[in-house]
Parts: sequence; structure tokens; C-alpha cells
Amino acid sequence: MSEDTVMAEDSVGVDDTAAGAGSLGRNVRRKEDQRLITGHGRFVTDVELPRMRHVAFLRSPYGHARITGADTAAARDAGFRVFTGADFAHIELRAQSALPSYVETAQPVLAHQKVRFAGEAVAAVVAADRYRAEDGLELVEIDYEPLAPTVCAWEAPSEPVHVEAPDNVLLERTFDAGDVDDVLASAAVVVERELTTNRHAGNPMECRAGVAVWDAADGKLTFWNGTQVPHIARNMIAELMGLPEGRVRVIAPDVGGGFGVKSVLYPEDLALCLMAREMPGIPLKWVEDRAEHLLAATHARDHRYLMKAGFDAEGTLLAVDADVTCNVGAYSVYPWTAGIEPLMAGGLLSGPYKLENYRCTVRGVATNTAPSGPYRGVARPASVFAMETMFDAAAAQLGIDAIEIRRRNVITPADIPYKMPSRLVDDSGHYRECLDKALEALDYDGVRAEQRRRRESGESPIGIGVAIYNELTGLGRAASAGPRMPFRTGHDACTVRVNPDGRVTVLSGVTSQGQGLETTVAQIVADAVGVRYDDVDVRIGDTDESLWGFGAFSSRQAVIGGGAAHNTAVEVRKKIITLAAGLMEAAEADLRIEDGDVYVVGEPKPYITVAEVARVAYLESNRLPDGIDPGLDATTFYDPIRGAFAAGVQVAAVEIDRATGELRILSYVCVEDAGRAMHPQIVDGQIAGAIAQGLGGALYEHLVYDDAGNLSTGTLLDYLMPTSAEVPDMVIGHVSRPASNPLGVRGVGEGGTLGPNAVLAGALRDALGIDVDELPVSPDRVWKELQG
Amino acid sequence: MKISFSVNGERADLDVEPRRTLADALRDDCGLTGTHLGCEHGVCGACTILIDGEPARACLMFAVQVDGASVSTVEGLQGTDGELHPVQEAFVACHGLQCGFCTPGMLMSACHLLDTKPDADRETIRAEMSGNICRCTGYQSIVDAVERAREGMCVPAVRDSNTAAPWGATFPEE
Repeated sequence: MSEDTVMAEDSVGVDDTAAGAGSLGRNVRRKEDQRLITGHGRFVTDVELPRMRHVAFLRSPYGHARITGADTAAARDAGFRVFTGADFAHIELRAQSALPSYVETAQPVLAHQKVRFAGEAVAAVVAADRYRAEDGLELVEIDYEPLAPTVCAWEAPSEPVHVEAPDNVLLERTFDAGDVDDVLASAAVVVERELTTNRHAGNPMECRAGVAVWDAADGKLTFWNGTQVPHIARNMIAELMGLPEGRVRVIAPDVGGGFGVKSVLYPEDLALCLMAREMPGIPLKWVEDRAEHLLAATHARDHRYLMKAGFDAEGTLLAVDADVTCNVGAYSVYPWTAGIEPLMAGGLLSGPYKLENYRCTVRGVATNTAPSGPYRGVARPASVFAMETMFDAAAAQLGIDAIEIRRRNVITPADIPYKMPSRLVDDSGHYRECLDKALEALDYDGVRAEQRRRRESGESPIGIGVAIYNELTGLGRAASAGPRMPFRTGHDACTVRVNPDGRVTVLSGVTSQGQGLETTVAQIVADAVGVRYDDVDVRIGDTDESLWGFGAFSSRQAVIGGGAAHNTAVEVRKKIITLAAGLMEAAEADLRIEDGDVYVVGEPKPYITVAEVARVAYLESNRLPDGIDPGLDATTFYDPIRGAFAAGVQVAAVEIDRATGELRILSYVCVEDAGRAMHPQIVDGQIAGAIAQGLGGALYEHLVYDDAGNLSTGTLLDYLMPTSAEVPDMVIGHVSRPASNPLGVRGVGEGGTLGPNAVLAGALRDALGIDVDELPVSPDRVWKELQG
Repeated sequence: MKISFSVNGERADLDVEPRRTLADALRDDCGLTGTHLGCEHGVCGACTILIDGEPARACLMFAVQVDGASVSTVEGLQGTDGELHPVQEAFVACHGLQCGFCTPGMLMSACHLLDTKPDADRETIRAEMSGNICRCTGYQSIVDAVERAREGMCVPAVRDSNTAAPWGATFPEE
């Protein structure tokens, strides 16, 4: 592992020479690509089973209404199978948390009594195909009595969303450290802002989908589901349906993107499983369309930050006093709870900056909008924007350079391990180094000179924006304690089997929605066992195959699932060595395994192959040395206990068109300490993809509800995701400091999303000298600002 | 309604409802599930296919509209000998796909682009590929892939669209 800083290296091109000499750190050909590139991927939508029927959901046209009647007679008379809320009224999704202020509420499988957001499913129709199922929906009559909706989380409700929470507040917590009031009173400068961020959707290109089939012979449910969390889904479905866990099988085959949206167990998922149990032997398929997805899959980032920050005359951050309100939508998202965004915002608001005096009250407020859930970056694209705004404002007020004020306040390697005021422990600290590299790549001085020149010449103004952030990744049991849910997500399991032919099969608890986990896990296992990458097959996403994995969220899988794969593979290598030593009558310490061959140290030719050792292990027990059992496999769990922080810095130079209000990104740079890069292309792909999502969220993406609770951005013509014409080429650099876990890795999936809000808002502020307190920085908003 | 068309050089005879979309006919009736549906309202481009050599959104067309036409889908790109089309190979080499859901549409758009504008520069590639949304890659690697494929494609990817196997059987001579 090189300690060198690697800048924008040319990593284009798969490294096909990788097989053999160790595959980690190389761009080996992804195992997923062959099927995906040829049209032979296996997505849930592609599952086709005998006797299969199709499901369509009827959805509420009201944001808030009492259900006063349901008439399904016409649909039943026409031969459709129909389910309504009353059919499953005895089952509800109750996300649980032991936090004292948490108000537990219920989410129905299909709404009955009342609907709480426009798009909530109220009935389901089963038919021979989707066309007919939608015909059937036309025949179902639901009667509604409209109630006053609430769409804004910081306005008082006239009619509570849940009776249990009259003020709509589902959770409130205050983080408190030091003495905020006294310190603010004596600070040289106190900056104060009210900041709001726009509502986003993760919008993976594949919408949600499920196929459920009930096997009446075994009393067993099989559920193909485009989920990021198959084991959690199995656990929850079994519990909610009163089934033994061993009789629920969840299969997540190829999944077309997730970004957090698919880490939720949705009522539609459960409805599908419950309907399948009512229709034994008939596989039921539901494929969500985009209009449904925008309405009813989880949203995120609809926040307000009331920020106050005190600095001394040199720009040292002294205290932060914050009040954060997160719109959590109609339901406390299952199983993550309404705490997912507010607690993350409060826990990580201070980010990479040293701070002792910190008070932050966070609350999750229910509204008549789609439930908010985990979305890549969870709260931090908003909280980083809030924090960086404080530094920009203080720098302007104190006359300090915006870069310099940050440099003075970031955690440094000398501070590591640094206990943040929320008591999370930062183990990276390489922010200054990332910042230096990023500014160098941007040509900071050059851009500043150009900025001055343009100011004098009157050409289109340019500005520089900067964001520094820390991404908490790979949370172990101690770090994942925050939301106090009835489970801790710190560990994953992995099974490594050497088959009788010497090839290796890995049954890993990780899941993949594009992150290339089949590839990465194969690399890890190949190197740790000592076999070729091409001789390792990785099977993921099937709860009947792998023992346990929490799945994909919190940038956890490289650290935790990867750690489990590595440790398990090391166990297997030891078993191969022990068996080989017995067979060869050699000392274990003298043996090494490389490319599937077992060598005696110092001998140029292999003594025996892993395949020969494996054959003995399974087929020739007569040759097994005394005390060695048949078989050649291992299963272990790994939990890093704490987490691994990934440091990151993003900077950009942005040009503003005064006539149109459009922002044009002239250059965009990101430098991260992502630890050891196991597959550089994949790591850079994660960062680039995350930045693109962040740019979309900062510039265009905005889910808008009208006052009646109707989503007015219900298609991809209204909810604008960026295309290749909007996302610029980026420079991605690395400061690769190994973390203290088996592979030295830090999670890299989410960090990229954390910067763009702050970077673009900061650049706009820098270019025009205006406050940017509201996102997105869409052209119309910029134009209005320009008109004064 | 009874319709006949050519898909990847093979004749397809279907009896479809007039309202059946071409995408559903390809996926469910022809078994060509490589064509993906990302929005079903013509924005995302995941279902992009070629009809008589021209790109089209399969989600916005009825199956009956291709009666008598020649349709090319992602499944037709790979050569009969299993070798990948240069555009496919370039997407793998440049990590131009992550989850792979938008990829079939991206590949078809890229092939059409390189056939019609074989000298497309990076800016043109970005503009021309903007009809396909990818949520994973950030596009840089996709643009890299199309550039790389441009260098590698010495022969047109589309041959006479009325002959068998209009796609994929032709590769640059090494």
C-alpha cells in the first residue's frame, strides 16, 4: 500500500494482468459486467415464473383524508382479486427506537381509516398482467373525507398526522457539550442564519420491484425483492407475518441502484408477501413505475437549520448553537425510524471541525408528504451546507480568507483520535492535506486571479466554493448505537468454501446495487486465500445462501463485509496450509500459497496445488492427516466496533451567467482519504457518482408539494436529474491513509454527495457576494437574486 | 393484432393487444429482458432501442408500430462468437456502468452516435448522450467509454438494417 498521494491518476482501462499477482489495488475486470453489458442481467423485473400474476396498487389522491368507505364489488364481479386495508388491518409497521422522546407510530400495510400522504397505497388488484390489473383499479371505489394537510415541517399543524403526536413531532433530541451560551456571549463574532434545503429523491434507475410466492407444501415464502437489505427484510417479514425465519427466503438479484431508497421495508413489499400467502402457488409480481416511485418511495433532505456560530477574532470556531427540523413525512420509516435524518444531522453537524461548545436540538416532524428515509449521505449534504455557510459568513465578517479560516479549524492528524462534541470519534484527520491537494488541482491562485480580472472587465463573474466533510463509514456496534433501534448493525458474516476442484465459492452477506461487491469480495478472498481472482465465485443477496449481512447502507460494506471476507479467507488459508503440511510432511510455517499453488519457502516450483489439497479434503478422507476433519471452509463474523471516517474536500470554480442565472461549473475537484483503494476504478466511480447526485440535488432536483399535499413534481420532466450535459468532468484525487481495520479501507459510497450543496452555494456567494440561504441554487432563484 | 418484425435479425410473429407497449412486447413476449424500463414516460432513456437504425424509446411506442420494421436491442450487440462489441468492451474497460440498469439504453445510444457521428468530440458525446440518465456513474466514465469505443470502432456498427444480425457481428480487425 503506497502512502503516496495519488492525484488524478489515469485509471482508465481494466487491468487484465491482475489475475495471479494479487488482485487488490488493481482494476480487475468486474465480475458483474459480462451479464450486465450483454442484456443478461437478472433484475427482479426479469423474474418470470409459471402461473405468475401481476399486482397494481391503488393510491390515495389526497394528502390527508379519512377513508369512509371501500367498494370493491365491481372489481370482484369482473373477476379481479382485490385486497384493501381491511384485509391486513391486523398488521402494521412500527419502527422502534428506545430514545426517550421517540413517539412510536404505526404504518398500515394498505391504508385504512385514513390516508396520510398522496400516493399512499389503499388497495391492490391482482390480474393476469399489469394492463389488466390497472383496468381493475378503475373499478375500485374508495370514499374519502378530506382533512387539512400539513406539508411544511416548521409550520404548526391544524390536524395532526398521527394522533399519538399532536404537534407532529416524532422525535426530538438535544446534543449538548461545553458552555454554549457563555462562549457565544464573549465571542468576537457571532453569525446567524436560517437555512433550508430542498427535498430530494434517490431515484435509482430501477424502481422498486418484488415477486412473492407462497409454497403451501413447505409453508414457505420466497420473495425476490430489489432490496439493499435482504437479511433485514427477511427478519422483518418473518416477524410481521408470524413465520419462522428459516421459512422466509429473500433474494435480491441484480438491483438497479439503491442509494438508501431500497434499504427500507415498504408496505408494498409486505402487502405483496401477505397477498401471496392468500394465493398459494401463484407468484405475484409488482413492478413500480416512476410515477409511483416519485410519489411513494422515500424522500429526503427537506430540512431547516437555525444556525448560530461564534468565532474569535482569528476565526477560531468557539461554539455552535443549532436547531434542526427535518421533515420526516407521513411515517417513521421502517425499520430506521424518523430519527434517521435528525440524529445524523445532530451527530455530524460539526463535521471535520474542532469544536467544544455545541448545542444542537434536532427534531423529526411528521407531515402529509411521502416518508423520508435514508438517502446517500443521510442529512449531511444539508448539514455540511449549514456548517460551511457559517465559515463563509464568518470569513467575510472577519476579513479572513475562506480557505484559511477552514484550515485553522479542521481536525489534524495530531488530534487523532478526535472526539467530536457528539462523542463520535474521528480517526482520519487528513483534511488539510486533502485541502492542499484539492486547491493545487483547482489552480486556486489562478482562479482567484481570473476572478479579479473578470471583476474589473465586467465579464461573467466566477466564484470558488469549498466543502470539507467527514464521512462516517463502516459503523461497528459502538458507532451504530445512535438511533437506539432494537438491532445493532455493526457486523456481517462471510462463508468461504474451497470446492473439491480447488475453485472458491464465497457466500457473502454483502449486497450490491452497482457498487461492484461481487468483484471486491472476490479480490479480497482471492488474495487472502492465495488463489486467482478468476477462480473465485461470489454469491450475494440470497438469505438462503449467506449466513448474515445487514446490507448496503452507511458506506459499511467494504469495511465490514470486506473485513468479514478477509478474515474468513485467512481462516481457510490456514486450513489449506495445515492440511498441505500434513500431506507433505512439512512445517506449516514453511508453506505459502500463491495463485492456487502451495510452495515450500525457497522452492521455485509448487509442491502441491490447492485443488489437490481440496480433493483430499472432500474425496480422499483416507489421506487426511490425523486430527483433521473433512471439508475446507470457514464462516466468520466481523465487527469493527467503531467506524472509519473518510476525510473529504471538494472545491469548484463556477461561472454565473447574469442573463439567465445559470451556473456553469468550470472545474470540480474532490480529494478524499478513502483509505486503501481495493479497486481504484470502483472507488473513483463511487465518488464521481455521488458528486453527480449531489450536483443534481444542489442545482435542479426538488420535490415540491402544493399546499393541498399534491406532489407537483411527479415525473422525470419535473424532477430533473442531471445528465451528461450538466455534470462536468471532475478531478478526483486521493490521500490514501489506511484505516485500522483488516483491509485498511474506509467507506466511499456517500462522501461525494456531502460537498456539492455547500460548494455551489459557496461559489455563488463568492462570485456575487450574496447570501445563499435556500437550496436548490436553480437558475430561476439565482436570477431573482441577481435582480436584487 | 398480429404483427411481424425483425428483432436482432430474427423474425418475431406476435399477437398483441393494440395497447401493448413495444417495451413489454420485447421483454415479455420476445424474452429480450435486456431492454429496461426506468420511467415509462420517455425521459430516462433506459429502454432505448433502434428501429430501422434510428433510436427510439420502446416505452413510448406500441408494439403494433413496429410491424414490418427491423428492431435492434442490446442482446444483438455481442457477436455470435461471444466477442463483445467495441462499445460494450469500452464500457467495461472504462467502468462505464455500475448497477447496469441504464446500460442497455446507453449502449444503443452510443452505438447510434458513433455510427452517425464517428468523429464526435467529448462535448458532442456529452450532448448526444444526454438523452440517457445514469444515476450511478456521474457520466465521466461513460463519456470516457464512448471516446474509447470511437477509437476502437473501425467499421460501422450498423450494417444494412434489413439483413440478418444488423448488430454486433462486425469487429475491428486487430
